[in-house]
Amino acid sequence: MVELERRGVPTVIITAEAFVQDARRSAQSFGLAGLPLAVVPTPLTNRRPEDIHRMVTEAFDQVVAGLTRPVEACADVGRPAVEERLTYDGPDLLDAWSRMNRDFLARGWSDGFPLVAPTGRAVEAMLRGSARDPGEVIATLEPGFGVATVEKLAINAVMAGGGPEHLPLLVAAVRCLAEPKMYLRNKAMSTGPHAPLVLVNGPKGRAANLNAGMCALGPGAPSASNTVLGRAVRLTMMNVGHTYVGVSDMDTIGSPLKYSLACAENEAQSPWEPYHVARGYAREASTVTVHFVYGICELHDFRSTRPEDLIQVFATAATNVAQVGTALWLIGRRADPRYKTEEREHNTLFVCPEHAQIFAGEGWDRARIQQALYKTARLPFRTLMLNKEPKALQAAHPELGWLADHPDLPLPVVETPDCFEIAVVGGAAGRGAYFYGAGEPVTMPVED
Amino acid sequence: MASLEILSPVANVVEQSVKPAPRLRDLGHATIGLYWNMKAGGDAALDRTEQLLRERFPGARFKRYTGSVGWLMRHCTAEDADRIAAEVDAVVGTTND
Repeated sequence: MVELERRGVPTVIITAEAFVQDARRSAQSFGLAGLPLAVVPTPLTNRRPEDIHRMVTEAFDQVVAGLTRPVEACADVGRPAVEERLTYDGPDLLDAWSRMNRDFLARGWSDGFPLVAPTGRAVEAMLRGSARDPGEVIATLEPGFGVATVEKLAINAVMAGGGPEHLPLLVAAVRCLAEPKMYLRNKAMSTGPHAPLVLVNGPKGRAANLNAGMCALGPGAPSASNTVLGRAVRLTMMNVGHTYVGVSDMDTIGSPLKYSLACAENEAQSPWEPYHVARGYAREASTVTVHFVYGICELHDFRSTRPEDLIQVFATAATNVAQVGTALWLIGRRADPRYKTEEREHNTLFVCPEHAQIFAGEGWDRARIQQALYKTARLPFRTLMLNKEPKALQAAHPELGWLADHPDLPLPVVETPDCFEIAVVGGAAGRGAYFYGAGEPVTMPVED
Repeated sequence: MASLEILSPVANVVEQSVKPAPRLRDLGHATIGLYWNMKAGGDAALDRTEQLLRERFPGARFKRYTGSVGWLMRHCTAEDADRIAAEVDAVVGTTND
């Protein structure tokens, strides 16, 4: 709508009360905070037409006013004031630190867990992890168009509990987030529980003591470095990208995955080339891959000894229509018209070493697993369309109108076989993980 | 008494500014675009909007739009926006969630 206003066309948006602040912040980010809204009490989704008609009738005067009355300047909608230094006093330092944590919570700068104090000395020590100038701008992060300097990343990494070894990894992760194809704005602000899954490959991950084995995504000492890295990414999304819950992150339920979700690939126990090599990087390179994911499903199988049987089990995880990305290709591709980018919906599989050995033992590589899953993970057209807008199918694929006459035809849950990303992660026993993805992963090299 | 000085984690932002379009004095002879992003329920909201606008402004005319790219949400490309701007005097849109 801002683009239409820019072209001289007055606009008004019908939106729900719950999304007013989100709409205003979004409009503010694009330069027009006062963009007129016609506010209805509830979202229009999951409503009967007669209920929608009633809400629109009640909001109709706002529609007319939005198109005919001058646009009022809108007060700042909660964009945090930037004070470069803050001071907290208390009877002792522990009390002052508690006050800092309470204040950060109140300002929305905390993920809810206690934060390490980003003192000048701690930040200086963090900055030693990178050869970059503290003022170097790595990226501008959406949705708030925050300027990601090395120093701001270092501050958030300190708050997450990180050490200097995490800073180059965080810089690479931020470059992934800022890549236009990532369409961060969509994933950060959505009502869906988009969590950035961070996968590290190469020697820099090992140097940072990232866990690739037992309980790599779990709590505890073995994964402490993983926890810190994932947390630093989340805090950076918040305080640098200005992704704040209830303001610019409208997640309906949320997800524990959004606190921290990072690990390394278990390259030592993988029978295949490392994940980053499959994505075109040299084996000796270090990389960070970020793939936004909605949720996780276990890939448990203690019985199978043949690849074909494992595929049957894995396919049951992939055929979950309640997960938004399943067969989303039927109604188009995630697209950001500003950058002319399009994404297919990918899903990431963490195959555990034992299952990987079963595949490799029969000569299966990643491509063969992808092909087998593509052929096996299918559902009838009518089932895949249960929660999708038929008119969106028509808009995206007018050539597929014939499917309406073949509702029982099985269709793949992803657009192409390579929409299944495969990495080897974890310890002993036949339990992997299937991540329902949102769009495509982005990989960046780790540089000092 | 102890004092803890820390550095702010919050980044400066790149500010943008867009001048709002002049509003219409009267919708009675306007061509109004109704933009649906394809989120469920938005079409019903725009149906009712058109009905109410027709009743109050009998001379108004209407054109329906959706974006040419996207998935759950269909977005306007720059070309879409140019076309819509050339064809209508005002636009009502829906966001839904």
